[in-house]
Amino acid sequence: MADLPLSGIRVCDLTWIIAGPTATRVLADFGAEVIRVEHAQAVDAIRLGRPIVGDGPTLNNSGFFSYFNRNKKSILLNVRHPMGMDVLKKLIAASDVVVENFSSGVMESWELDYPQLKAIRPDIIYCSISGFGHSGRDKAFTTWGPTAQALCGLAITSGLPGKMPAGWGYSYMDHTAGYAGAIAIMAALHHRNRTGEGQHIDISQVEAGIVLNGPAVLDYTVNGRSWRREGMPPGNHAWEPAVAPHNTYRCAGDDRWVAIAAMNDAEWQALVRAMDEPAWAADPRFATNAGRLAHQEGLDARIAAWTAPQEDYAVMALLQAAGVRAGVCQRASDRFERDPQLAARDWWHRLEHGEMGEVDYDGVVPKLSLTPGQLRSAGPLLGQDTWSVLEEVAGMTPEEIAEHEAMGVLM
Amino acid sequence: MSGPLADLRVIELCDELGQYAGKLLGDLGADVVKVEPPGGSSARAIGPFVKDIPGPDRSLNFWYHNTNKRSVVLDIEGDAGDRARFAQLCAGADVLIEDRQPGALAALGLGEAELRAANPRLIVCSITPFGQTGPWKDHATSDLVALALGGPMVMNGYDQEDAPGAPPIRGHGDQGYNTASHHALHGILAALFYRDRTGAGQYIDCSMHEALSQTVEVGMPYWLYARTDVFRQTARHAAAQRTEPWLVHAKDGKDLILFGVGRDNTSWKQLKKWYQAAGFGLQFDEPRFDEPLARQGGTGSPEAAELRAETAKFVAAHDAEAIYRGGQERDQAWGVIRAPDETLADPHWWDRGHFVHTTGEGVDEPVAMPGAPYLLSATPWELRRPAPKLGEHTAEVLAELASG
Repeated sequence: MADLPLSGIRVCDLTWIIAGPTATRVLADFGAEVIRVEHAQAVDAIRLGRPIVGDGPTLNNSGFFSYFNRNKKSILLNVRHPMGMDVLKKLIAASDVVVENFSSGVMESWELDYPQLKAIRPDIIYCSISGFGHSGRDKAFTTWGPTAQALCGLAITSGLPGKMPAGWGYSYMDHTAGYAGAIAIMAALHHRNRTGEGQHIDISQVEAGIVLNGPAVLDYTVNGRSWRREGMPPGNHAWEPAVAPHNTYRCAGDDRWVAIAAMNDAEWQALVRAMDEPAWAADPRFATNAGRLAHQEGLDARIAAWTAPQEDYAVMALLQAAGVRAGVCQRASDRFERDPQLAARDWWHRLEHGEMGEVDYDGVVPKLSLTPGQLRSAGPLLGQDTWSVLEEVAGMTPEEIAEHEAMGVLM
Repeated sequence: MSGPLADLRVIELCDELGQYAGKLLGDLGADVVKVEPPGGSSARAIGPFVKDIPGPDRSLNFWYHNTNKRSVVLDIEGDAGDRARFAQLCAGADVLIEDRQPGALAALGLGEAELRAANPRLIVCSITPFGQTGPWKDHATSDLVALALGGPMVMNGYDQEDAPGAPPIRGHGDQGYNTASHHALHGILAALFYRDRTGAGQYIDCSMHEALSQTVEVGMPYWLYARTDVFRQTARHAAAQRTEPWLVHAKDGKDLILFGVGRDNTSWKQLKKWYQAAGFGLQFDEPRFDEPLARQGGTGSPEAAELRAETAKFVAAHDAEAIYRGGQERDQAWGVIRAPDETLADPHWWDRGHFVHTTGEGVDEPVAMPGAPYLLSATPWELRRPAPKLGEHTAEVLAELASG
């Protein structure tokens, strides 16, 4: 097996839904042995999540689950059974990292908070991802991605002026809290390499979102301006730097749009030339950025009239050839079937899944020259690795495992 | 106490796209030396500015994204001596992050191959809009264009009746740049862990386009597994079918995201009591509301419709923060839609020590801004220095170079 950057690192993965599994997916892509500990009586809801392949959910045919859990193992373990808890402790003792994204307080109720984990394995790196973190007066409050996006200030930044917020059309903060988790875990592993010391990483999903709008917070604390004001959010117009044109423009076809941004006068002039120098563009009101900003609606209407009869990719190609920032609002199907850039970089992969057959995946984002991340296996079937993990990692004999199975511990 | 990366020296040659990656490394303890051209990073020209007066040291965008860095001015494009100094800096560094056009550094004789030949332990990470290869590698982009091509935008927007003909919507805050930087960190830290074991550095090609294409949750698997595109819906997940609204308006004009209303019987009892004490949902005691499935949106049941209507009326009679807190106290994972600055008013984040104070040109008192995205018990995130003034550390760093 290839030597991957995180080869030799074992992760006891108690995560579910999206945020936690995103963190462990990053670690798994780079070679960590990630062992998902699952329980059939409290199954990860994403195992039932659409899209599914086939007529009804089987716990093993969710594409949603498979997408976020590639390269991982799965074991079945009932940790509410005392014998199951003992097995879990053996796994923890053999792991470098424990990750969970339960509500704050669950690990404590299992008597597995950081001091107790540390007693099992002194240099353990324990990462908890919860809505509000493990400290603070509201630590018992809970989130889903959209809750976190509302509370951290992201949702309000997305929308048209004078309208209700459009928010985020997916759980961006599930991804991003997971990304923060992977960053903190790998940084803590580096510290452990140097010092032998482990630690507790406490991530609040909302905090991981508050940090994504620092300049907006500073505009308030320095200039007294809140984002909650007339004309905000500015839709697809620019906030800062304030430039125009900067918007999405409808093209031919059903719900097809191209985004165009001119960041300075030179780019505006390039756009004018690419549009074949229409008479309206010579209007002195549009000669400077200040003028274009002041007359943005008229400007947008004219550009939209130019794009409307054209095909979106054709507009993009024409403008890019002229050095103008432009891109199609691509759907997933566009990226998979039409995007030449992703295709040229071998972005799409195919893996054999235990129940669904051949399934498609996207790649590993940062491309490492010496030890690239790898797609080794599709999302695991529920409990497919129970026996091998208990034998090889927990050090149990086949007789012990069989006894645990008979006692209903491995379910 | 110092951060987990306190032993690292990082050279950063980044503007808007990659500056957050440098901040993430610096905030975790690395000594980040930001190399800027004589006129300063283009990010210094991005507003808002202190008291709306532009100036290289007055950009709040720059203040936020350049904490824990030192600024060194080198004219690597125009001055051979500065190119040699840049190479010398990289020879003594652990990591170089750069966001220049593909091939730009190599054209100056400062390509990753040359730099790594001189320092085999060096990890070089290029963060670019589309990556180092492929037909779009030299395409022009911006955060807006990146979010369009990468897929987030087409999932954000409105139901037709809420905003007829509305386009896909971009969420603000340069989330394309932020997402690219998160992925760059994954690559850099994985490579660092490999170097810890083997001593070998390597090169990392990080594409913002790929980072975004993989950061759209259910959007991508829906195509990969069901060959279906999801479509955007107001303030909730894009989906393959129309779903129930989540956005509810409160008395004070603020909005909330409410879902899972009455999902399970335990929290339903608490909710019902709360609504009824205010005179709403009096019909909820009827047995037809006892079945959780009947209360679920999307089933088309009259009970679900009545619950939605009563919820709207109940919320419209209260202020948003009261609904948020009252809901959370009754096990509802609800959220109030706050402006980024409104997070400052919530004492929970101050309990956790989240906000930190920084300073710079034009302010008399330190000002608050967001702090740690993660609390590390042994090696805490720390604001050691505010964003540097342009060239503030040129003499200091060059003196370090000279003394070897």
